[in-house]
Amino acid sequence: MKNLFVVVLIILLTGCASYQRKNNQIAQTLYKSPPKAVLKILQGTEPLKRDIAQYHLNVGILQFKIGNFSAAITALELAKKEMAALQAISISENAAAATVNETYRAYSGYPTDLIMVHNILALSYLFNNDIGGARVEILQAQVAMRKLAKGRALIGQLASTHLISGIIYELLGEQSNALISYRKADVILIDNKLPTPMGLKQALLRMSYIVDKKSQYAIYKKRFPDIPTPNKNTKSKIFVLYFDAVVDHKAEFSLLVPSPNDDQLIRIAMPRYPKTNTTISHGIIKVNKQQLTTQLIDNLNLSVRKDLSQIYPSILLMTTSRAVIKDTLVKKANEKDDLLGIVFNVATFISEVADLRSWNMLPANIQFAYMETNEPTVSLGRKNVPSEKVEIKKGTDNVLLLNSLTSSIFHYQQ
Amino acid sequence: MKVKINISIFLLSIIFLTACSTTVKRIDASDQVDLSGAWNDTDSQLVAKNMIKDALSANWITNFRKKAGKNPTVIIGTVKNLSHEHINTNTFVENMQREMINSGEVQFVASAGQRSQIREERGDQDINATEATRKKMGDELGADYMLQGQINTIIDVEGRKQVRYYQVNLKLISIKDNRIVWVGEKKIKKYIKNSTLRE
Repeated sequence: MKNLFVVVLIILLTGCASYQRKNNQIAQTLYKSPPKAVLKILQGTEPLKRDIAQYHLNVGILQFKIGNFSAAITALELAKKEMAALQAISISENAAAATVNETYRAYSGYPTDLIMVHNILALSYLFNNDIGGARVEILQAQVAMRKLAKGRALIGQLASTHLISGIIYELLGEQSNALISYRKADVILIDNKLPTPMGLKQALLRMSYIVDKKSQYAIYKKRFPDIPTPNKNTKSKIFVLYFDAVVDHKAEFSLLVPSPNDDQLIRIAMPRYPKTNTTISHGIIKVNKQQLTTQLIDNLNLSVRKDLSQIYPSILLMTTSRAVIKDTLVKKANEKDDLLGIVFNVATFISEVADLRSWNMLPANIQFAYMETNEPTVSLGRKNVPSEKVEIKKGTDNVLLLNSLTSSIFHYQQ
Repeated sequence: MKVKINISIFLLSIIFLTACSTTVKRIDASDQVDLSGAWNDTDSQLVAKNMIKDALSANWITNFRKKAGKNPTVIIGTVKNLSHEHINTNTFVENMQREMINSGEVQFVASAGQRSQIREERGDQDINATEATRKKMGDELGADYMLQGQINTIIDVEGRKQVRYYQVNLKLISIKDNRIVWVGEKKIKKYIKNSTLRE
C-alpha cells in the first residue's frame, strides 16, 4: 500500500516538472506561431493552483500582443492581485519546498514581473484609450519599485517603467512629473552602464527646457551638446516603443552525487539561465528620407538573470538542506525494508526538480525612439520586413508600439 | 486504535475543506467593511456627505439667493482620479449628486452625457408625441455653477506596512464668470499592515 502511494507520488511529481517544461516550450513557440495560436495552446493547459499567477501573466501578455486590451487588463489585474496576496509566507508551502522541491511554493512573481505587470497594464489602458487608467498603473509601478529598492541595488528597477511614466505624464501635460520620470530612467541606465537612447536625451532636454531652463536644462545641454534646442512647434510628437523577441527561460542544471556511505544517489537540481546569443533586432521608423532606429531602454534578459542571482544563495541553501532531509528519509526507509528504501530513493531522486517558472512570454528587450514631424504618415517596420504606414493627424501626440514577432502596430493618438 | 485515528483524520479533513469553501453573507449597504485598505464605498459615501454638507453651509449659496432670489442650479463636471487606485469616480459623483439633491438647497441639472439622451428623446417627441404632451426644445434649465474635483493619493510603503493618504479636492465654479465660489477639501489617512503569513 505504502509503495503504491509512493509510486503515485512519483507520477504526480513528474507531472509538475513536465508542466513547467511544457510551459517554457509554449513560450518559445512565439517565435514560430502568432500570439493568438499560442494563447489557444496556453488556454488549453490546466495550470496548478500554485502556478495561477504565472498563467494569468502569460495570458495577459498574449492578449496584449493580440491587441485585445480589455482581456489583457482583466488577466493582468488578476495576476497582480494574486501576486500581492502571495507576498505573505505560507508555512505549508515552505515545508513542502523544504522536503520535496521548490515548485511547491506558489508562484508569486520575480521583481521584474512585479514591475513589468504595471508596464503592460499601463500600455493596455493607454491603447484602450484610457490614459487615466494608465496613469494609475505608473503610480502603482513607482510604489512597487520603491518597495523593491535596496540601496543602490537595481533589482526591480526598470528604466522602461520610468520612460513609460514620463511619456504618460507628458501626454497629460504634467511636465514636471515627466522630467522626474525621464531623469530616473536615465539614472538607471547610467547605473546599468547602458547608453542613454537618443529619444530619452531629447525628452530630458525637452522637459527641462520647459520646467527648469536655467539649471537642469543647462546641465543636460552640456551633456548632450549635439541635440538641437527644443522649440515650440505644431509638429506631431511620435513616441515609438519596440518589443523585441521573447525573454529567456530557465533550464535545469542537475548534479548526481553519491551519499556519504555510497549507498544511494543524491540528485541536486538548480535553475539557471543558459547562455544565449540572441541578436537584438531594432524597429525602424521612416518619414520621407529621414530614418530612425529604436534604441535599447531595458534588457529584460539581464533583469531576469539579476532576479535569479539575488535569490540563488537561498535556493542553494534550501537545495542542500533538502538533500540532507531526503537522504535521512531514504535511510530510515531502508532500515525498515530494502525494497522500500530503493522506492524512496527513486522517489526523492525524481522529485528533485528545479523551479523553472518565470513570466516567460515577456519581450527580451524594450526599445525606444522619438520624433517630431509634419508629415501625415510614418512607415514603421524592422530589418528585412516590409514596413507599414501609420496615419498621423497634424499636431497630435502619438504612442506607437511595434513588436518584432507580429506585424500589428498599436497606436494611441490624442 | 487505528480506526479511531483514521476517523479523526477524516473529520479533520472535512473541517479543513469546509473552511476553504466560499461563503456569502448579506450585509447592510451602510456597514463599514475594509478588506484591502483601498478606496471603497464607505470612503466614497463619507467624503461625499461631508464635502457637500460643507459646500451647502458656505456663503456662496446665501449670496446667490440674495442676488437671484432663487436656489442655485448646479451641475457636476469631472472628478479626476489622480490616485494610485482604479477608482470608479462615477459612484462618488452619484453620491455627491444624491446628497445635494436631497438637501433641497440647490437645483440640479443632468450631466452632458445624460442631456444628449434627453435631447434625443425630445427630438423624438417632436415628431411622435401629441401636441398636449410634447416637450419642446429650448426650455432647459441652465446651470449657475459647476462642481469639479480630483482625488489624489500619497502612498508610503515600508515592507508590509503602508500608509495611504487620500485627498479629495472639490471646486464650485460660477459658469457665468469663472469665479471659484467654494473650495472644499477632505482627507483620509489609512494605516494598512499586511499579514506576514497566509494559508
